[in-house]
Amino acid sequence: MQFQLITLLGIKVDRMAYELIMPTAAGEIAVFPGHEHLVSLAVPGAIVVRYNKADADEDLDYYAVSGGIIEVTPQYVKVLVDEADSGDDIIEAESKAALGRAIELRDNAKDQVELEHARELIDRHAVRLKVAGLRRRRRNL
Amino acid sequence: MASIQLLKSRIRSVKSTKQITKAMQMVAASKMRRAQEATKASAPYTLEARQLLTRLAAHMSVTKHELFIVRPVQTRLLIVIGADQGLSGAYNSNVLHLYTSELIADDKAGIKNKTIAVGRKIAGFVSRLKDTETLGVYEDLPDKPTGSELRAVLDTAQDQFLSGAVDAVDVIYTEFISGMRQQTAVMRVLPAGFDPIEELVVVTDALYEPSTDEVLAGAVHRLIGAQIFQALLDARASEESMRMVAMKNATDNATDLIDDLTLAMNKERQGAITQELAEISGGVEALTE
Repeated sequence: MQFQLITLLGIKVDRMAYELIMPTAAGEIAVFPGHEHLVSLAVPGAIVVRYNKADADEDLDYYAVSGGIIEVTPQYVKVLVDEADSGDDIIEAESKAALGRAIELRDNAKDQVELEHARELIDRHAVRLKVAGLRRRRRNL
Repeated sequence: MASIQLLKSRIRSVKSTKQITKAMQMVAASKMRRAQEATKASAPYTLEARQLLTRLAAHMSVTKHELFIVRPVQTRLLIVIGADQGLSGAYNSNVLHLYTSELIADDKAGIKNKTIAVGRKIAGFVSRLKDTETLGVYEDLPDKPTGSELRAVLDTAQDQFLSGAVDAVDVIYTEFISGMRQQTAVMRVLPAGFDPIEELVVVTDALYEPSTDEVLAGAVHRLIGAQIFQALLDARASEESMRMVAMKNATDNATDLIDDLTLAMNKERQGAITQELAEISGGVEALTE
């Protein structure tokens, strides 16, 4: 099936995939070719992609995504999210430090705007950290 | 002689200003290109949100959703997008001109206003206004926005509309038409509206989770988010384009000024030489007599 990951900054992924694990409002779902037509809300979390049936767990790709919408048909899967970061681009130590800074920002927020901004950063970096950890464990890095 | 020294010093000063304006022109050109590319890159997102809404429209009366409901406007939320910095020609003043004309029109029609200011120059202006409530001020947005910066703006706008605190949400920004042409515009984002995609094959037996209503709300949220994001990118491209033109004009003016000052200095120097020669020849003549 064709897998498209579409973000505000452009199309992040557009290629054939065999298996997708995606975070939805009703929990994680796994999608294989031929899946029934489904439209669901995506929540911030990790998308795990197995591009070929024969790919080992070490070859899986990971993406940290913000909330959005997932559309599944037997032929394609389209994921529409504001932001998506590839696990390969995430440095765990940096995300950890950024999460710490975001928590500090939230604790010292002077107004509602700063508080909302800090919460967004916390959500973003928490997901990135989760994806980095998942990738490291699966790939035994 | 003092005058020549003064002119030399002024030429040096104008030359260094020219170097700065030239550098700013180059930086603005590069940032404008980046913003234009980002605008193009975000187009598939908007298209997909529209496709999704078109498919949903086949299942349900999309326009009956509360985000689509058109109410008589008693209070309007204006999201005003400007710049953090100046030196961009009439960019900020054009936005503020449109903003004030909208405020005056609303005042005449008996409509109250609320404002979200994006950009330091706009925030400074809005903070001096008495009759409009400021819901938020967003400054120092990154050169390459990712969309997360606007989530708070989007959530505030949507909450205000759904709670009935405002009846319409408009974005005031500068539309980027080309490198030489930009114009200020007002774009209505709420109540929502969309143009269905006619050629789309509609699949009707889909499963919607958690519910069609929630999926619809999510799709509308994405569409509005994309519209505001594109307005921000357009505004960013326009700002840099206008800054580039302003800096080019400044560079050209500096070049003209350097030419004028060099000419004046050469005249001054020639005058001094002529004077010196006249004095020498006068002296020689006096000696021979």
